Amino acid sequence: MGMVVCVLLPRFQLTVAAGGRAELLRVPAALAPDVGSGGPKEMVGEVSLAAEAFGVHPGMRLGEALARCPRLTLVPPDPAGVAEAWERLLVRLESIGAAVEPERPGLVCFDARGLLKLYGARVVGDRERIERVISAARRALGVPARYGVAPSRFAAVAAATRARTRRPVIVTGGRQEASAFLAELPVALLRARPALAELPEALERLGIRTLGELVALSPDALADRLGAAGLLARELAGGGDGALRPRPASEFLRESLVLPEAASGMQLERALGLLIDRLLARHERRGRTVRAVALSAVLVEQGGTWRRQAVFREALADPLRMRLVLGPHLSLMPAPAQELRLAVESFGPPASDQRALLEDPAAARTARLREAIRQARAAAGSEAALRVLEVDPDSRFPERRAVLTPFE
Amino acid sequence: MSGPRRLSVPRRVTVVANEEGRPAEVDGTSIDAVRESWLVEDRWWTDRPLHRRYWEVVTTAGRDEVVFHDLVSGRWWRQR
Repeated sequence: MGMVVCVLLPRFQLTVAAGGRAELLRVPAALAPDVGSGGPKEMVGEVSLAAEAFGVHPGMRLGEALARCPRLTLVPPDPAGVAEAWERLLVRLESIGAAVEPERPGLVCFDARGLLKLYGARVVGDRERIERVISAARRALGVPARYGVAPSRFAAVAAATRARTRRPVIVTGGRQEASAFLAELPVALLRARPALAELPEALERLGIRTLGELVALSPDALADRLGAAGLLARELAGGGDGALRPRPASEFLRESLVLPEAASGMQLERALGLLIDRLLARHERRGRTVRAVALSAVLVEQGGTWRRQAVFREALADPLRMRLVLGPHLSLMPAPAQELRLAVESFGPPASDQRALLEDPAAARTARLREAIRQARAAAGSEAALRVLEVDPDSRFPERRAVLTPFE
Repeated sequence: MSGPRRLSVPRRVTVVANEEGRPAEVDGTSIDAVRESWLVEDRWWTDRPLHRRYWEVVTTAGRDEVVFHDLVSGRWWRQR
């Protein structure tokens, strides 16, 4: 069995979005619906403790939230700020050797087994060793967080929700101990797993209030009534869970440009070109290609931030092609920007198709063109690439001058 | 695609012309000005001769149109 550490930073997105306005967290406040993300519309995001007291919870429809709490302050979401702050914290955790699996901004898990000897070699007992690992994580993060430790990920998240900032909840042992720890906890904890978001309500209607009561049911009865979701919930409540899938350790490489005046259109495109050149010139890139980038902007007049991720069809290091891909994203920006940022999300293999010093040879250009045609035809059918062939360009009848033929 | 496809193929259009054959309306839109007119004759030595009177006109909607009157069939066509 593993020893999973869960680090929970409650209301992380709300805290970041509130920025320097810490007083917002003391009054009923909620993250405003993020209309630009393409996610569920008109639903509030994370809510402050004071808003929770009014019965407002994340994912509630805006109309219902305002009906429950008319004084609710809506904080504009800050997706770029959240992603950046979260990435910085993840990198700090990785710096102690933790292979992290981020679930969402504010919640991350890692397996501590590999770190026990590194940080707890001088102490005896699992509990003391794990406390050393937590201390190391706490020092690296430098921000208050709640820590839960348990043999499974689900139990670790449950433990973190029960922990205090200076008092972690640690469950040692195996599956049996994890199940015993979870037995008294409410089934509402299952909501943290997206696949089980609807389940707690159904369970509560059936009179099942704790995870212990859920485990006591027979798997056949659960599968019959609730399907695969019921079996998964029972597995989690019984101290089981899938293995962690840590993300590959990444680097944080970013360039930003403060625009002297609110910029849009052509100015933004120039700024983007500059950022791409700067990013590619960074020595940390070490000649590698770029597979995915995140383009973000701080909008004028406290309009919040804007963020788009772009994954290239093939990893590349050619500024011209990067500009072609990223340029159209700029037109989706809802307001002029006062700062533009470009960050590498993931690197590809070292560049072998760098921009040539001299002009590309004709053969390489033709090969690239053929590949583009092949991809266009694969996506849009055989008529996706045609050539205008002049048959009788001087004819006095326009319909005789040219024909469309397949591009060969 | 089965084979080569012609470009600029003429398409039928409804034209109201005056007694002199000068277009007054194209698809229900009045003509503001006639920019140019020319006659094209070809294949007169075959069984299917081509006789067309072309008109380049500007409609009151601001569109520049090229229409022709097929002098053999008497029909009007639009062509770019």
